Amino acid sequence: MSAETIERELGAGAKLFVQTSHVLPIVAVVVALRTGAAHDPAGKEGLSRATARMLRRGCEGLDAIAVERSIDALGGEVGFEVAASSTAVSGQVLARNLEPFVDLVAKMIGKPTFAQDEVDRLLRETRAELLESLDNDRGLADRHFRRRLFAGHPYGRTSRGTSASLAAIDRDAIRGHHAANYVRGNVVVAMSGDVAAEEAERLARKLVDALPQRGTPTEGLAEPPVLGGRHLVFVDKPERTQTQILIGGLGTEAHDPDHIALTVANAIFGGTFTSRLTREVRGKRGWSYGASSRLGVDRRRHSFLMWTFPAASDAAPCAALEIDLLEKLVAGGVTEREVRFIQRYLTRSWAFEVDTAQKRVHHALDVELLGLPGDYYSGYLDHIGAVTPDTANAALSARIHPSDLVVTVVGTAATTLDAIRAAIPSLATEEVVPYDHEAKEN
Amino acid sequence: MAGRSAIAKAVDKANEKSIPGAGKIRLEQTVPFGGGGDEAAVLAMDNGLRILMLVDRTAPVVAYSTWYRVGSRHEKPGKTGLAHLFEHLMFNETEHLKAGEFDRKLEEAGAETNAATWLDWTYYYEAVPKDRLGVVIQLEADRMAHLVLRDAQVASEKEVVANERRYRVDDDVEGLASEMLYRTAFERHNYGWPTIGWMEDILGFVPADCESFYETYYAPNNATIVIVGDVREADVLARIRAAYGVLPRAEIPEEDTHPEPPQHEERVVALRKPTATEKLVIGYHGPALGDPDHAPLTVLSEILFGGRASRAYRAMLIDKELATDLRGWVSTFRDPGLFEVYLTARPGKTKDDLLGVLDREIARLHDEAVSGDELERAKARLELGGLQALDTASGKAEQIGFYDTVLGDAAGAFRRLEAYRRVTAGDVRRVARRFLVTRARTIVHVLPDIGTKEGKAA
Repeated sequence: MSAETIERELGAGAKLFVQTSHVLPIVAVVVALRTGAAHDPAGKEGLSRATARMLRRGCEGLDAIAVERSIDALGGEVGFEVAASSTAVSGQVLARNLEPFVDLVAKMIGKPTFAQDEVDRLLRETRAELLESLDNDRGLADRHFRRRLFAGHPYGRTSRGTSASLAAIDRDAIRGHHAANYVRGNVVVAMSGDVAAEEAERLARKLVDALPQRGTPTEGLAEPPVLGGRHLVFVDKPERTQTQILIGGLGTEAHDPDHIALTVANAIFGGTFTSRLTREVRGKRGWSYGASSRLGVDRRRHSFLMWTFPAASDAAPCAALEIDLLEKLVAGGVTEREVRFIQRYLTRSWAFEVDTAQKRVHHALDVELLGLPGDYYSGYLDHIGAVTPDTANAALSARIHPSDLVVTVVGTAATTLDAIRAAIPSLATEEVVPYDHEAKEN
Repeated sequence: MAGRSAIAKAVDKANEKSIPGAGKIRLEQTVPFGGGGDEAAVLAMDNGLRILMLVDRTAPVVAYSTWYRVGSRHEKPGKTGLAHLFEHLMFNETEHLKAGEFDRKLEEAGAETNAATWLDWTYYYEAVPKDRLGVVIQLEADRMAHLVLRDAQVASEKEVVANERRYRVDDDVEGLASEMLYRTAFERHNYGWPTIGWMEDILGFVPADCESFYETYYAPNNATIVIVGDVREADVLARIRAAYGVLPRAEIPEEDTHPEPPQHEERVVALRKPTATEKLVIGYHGPALGDPDHAPLTVLSEILFGGRASRAYRAMLIDKELATDLRGWVSTFRDPGLFEVYLTARPGKTKDDLLGVLDREIARLHDEAVSGDELERAKARLELGGLQALDTASGKAEQIGFYDTVLGDAAGAFRRLEAYRRVTAGDVRRVARRFLVTRARTIVHVLPDIGTKEGKAA
């Protein structure tokens, strides 16, 4: 079950990770780049995503429909994930068709045609999707939380783009982005499932050989600046019976010496169903169907945030309670009993982080793409076991600052804003944003 | 992998111990699970508890799920949402555990846990490291018979469910449209009310409603336990017998469900919401999961809506740029359900634009046989999807439990794959003519507006 992930150098900086499992006759293939949306040029947000999505819309000898028919005929699927620091072309295919599938993906990443009519169609489609995304209140909350918390930093940008940034993207920009980023030195390949390591290496070389031999274009990301004080962003949307509330600030970076200690403290606070936050918000008061907190992990310090979605009438007291709970967490710390409990949970539930070949190979990918410490996953159990109440509480004091918070609420301002404003002490700034602001700008 | 003789020996061993009042376990059959030689054991206890077990040593974990043969179809008007409320109440207090202890013990065991309620069933799911299975068996047996249902528990969970309803339905355009689709398409059958329940029903529940429902449906003879993972068969069966063997049967009432009469006229309902563009949610009356035409209709759905090479995707998203999103699928219910279609228009495009193209594509399916290539592509996609669902112990347990609960066939997932392989172009044309009929469809038309909330439209 816990077979080692095999690592191979493919030359010019490209790497391969393989996890073999013959449980099912399918194979997952990932071609990942060490660059993502955070590397989009300012004013061209959405370029990484547009480029990735163009890969399936025509390549040497195949137009867009032929690409799709080829994927389907092989019993395959292909998707694209553009995160802040990475881009992934991910696929899965019936094992009997692995080689022709790899040949197809190699052509898609190496010889895309970027036909003008397809570029135009994609940009029209993306603008329409921007409008549709306004239906997703949770997505709106997340977008505006990051925009405010990471203002001025690439983490604050949107990978999807805005109406204005999409207008600045054209075929030349997409071709240029592809030429700079889809290069051997920027690529990590992962295969998992019903494929032997030797075969995986042979096939991975086809993928890498499809790309020019150049090094990674990655420029280092700066550390996000601290946003001092408390800031309210109210995203105003009509007819909301419920609110989406995100409250948080900067969190941790994987190389912080107290990173794992903070991870443990967060799990105690809002990482499980019996955690403090869930117990108080959902268990005792029934205010929100979900209540949780999480720490983002990326190449640089990312966010800590609490998420709840109470009825509009409960939004203000819920937000106040969350801030109060956070203040008490940082001031009073976690207890020995809580730490021991969560250690048992985290170490025992680890079995479900490594129960498939695909999950195991993704650990190796994460380490490579996010620049995590080499033993981030392999030493996870030891690191969790080493946390004490003192180290967890020191991490909370050092990293979580209840006086520096972004509070994002998606709701109907006419019925909810005043109460929210009154519920948050010491607000430094406040902005009320129409929910369709970004889709309509330009 | 465990053969029949190994399971039979395990059953004998599990029955050896004398447990006062506890019935015995018997092996009913073993059924092949896939083509790799795996076999799932089908067992039963004297009190009617059904047990399905598949030994799977690919990871040191065990998935343990409990399927109750009760869903929203078993509710009464005025008490809708009761089955789903139990999905919440079952994590609360029992006679042996204080509130919160159930989750705490599972978290301490490192368990993944969840539950789901649907029209035909409710199921509770845990996955644990293999050395923690004993905790799960104790907890599940306890809450099958000893749940505490007083004012405090019911009031708190009602509030949480009301918030869940706001999240999934009231403030969610698609959720609300889907609810309206079923309400309009099913005028007689209980499938017409939402599993989460009408808000007024949710807020009106009292402990007596819950106690009555619990005593009626939460009993060993209305449940199936599914175990998939790295287990020692005799050990796990002995534990199950010790935990569940003394639980009494319940008198399960005969169902009082009315079949849905044939629909003879198209029904169109309009809904105005603050959304950017028009949306259509369409339901054609479709087959039950056990209907031989269910697999061909699923293949048809794949040809029409599956992936970017599918007919509707090409026509609506690429060629005419009418839509930003479209999906279609066949419901998998015990009784005839719906062939559901979700269409999201581009700005400025209308219901008539979308329906015009959809109707043309459906007419093609009525008139012309699909090509061999299209058929093979659809089957390949379904094969991949079928295999992906079996990636983990939990995935296998869900497939076994679902097909056993709805069809009485623990290996139904594989029979589905075989059925897809047999589908012909003629089958696809026949099911198009049988099910994709305008007079038997219901349309919910979502209009972007902040004015009137809802009303009938022509």
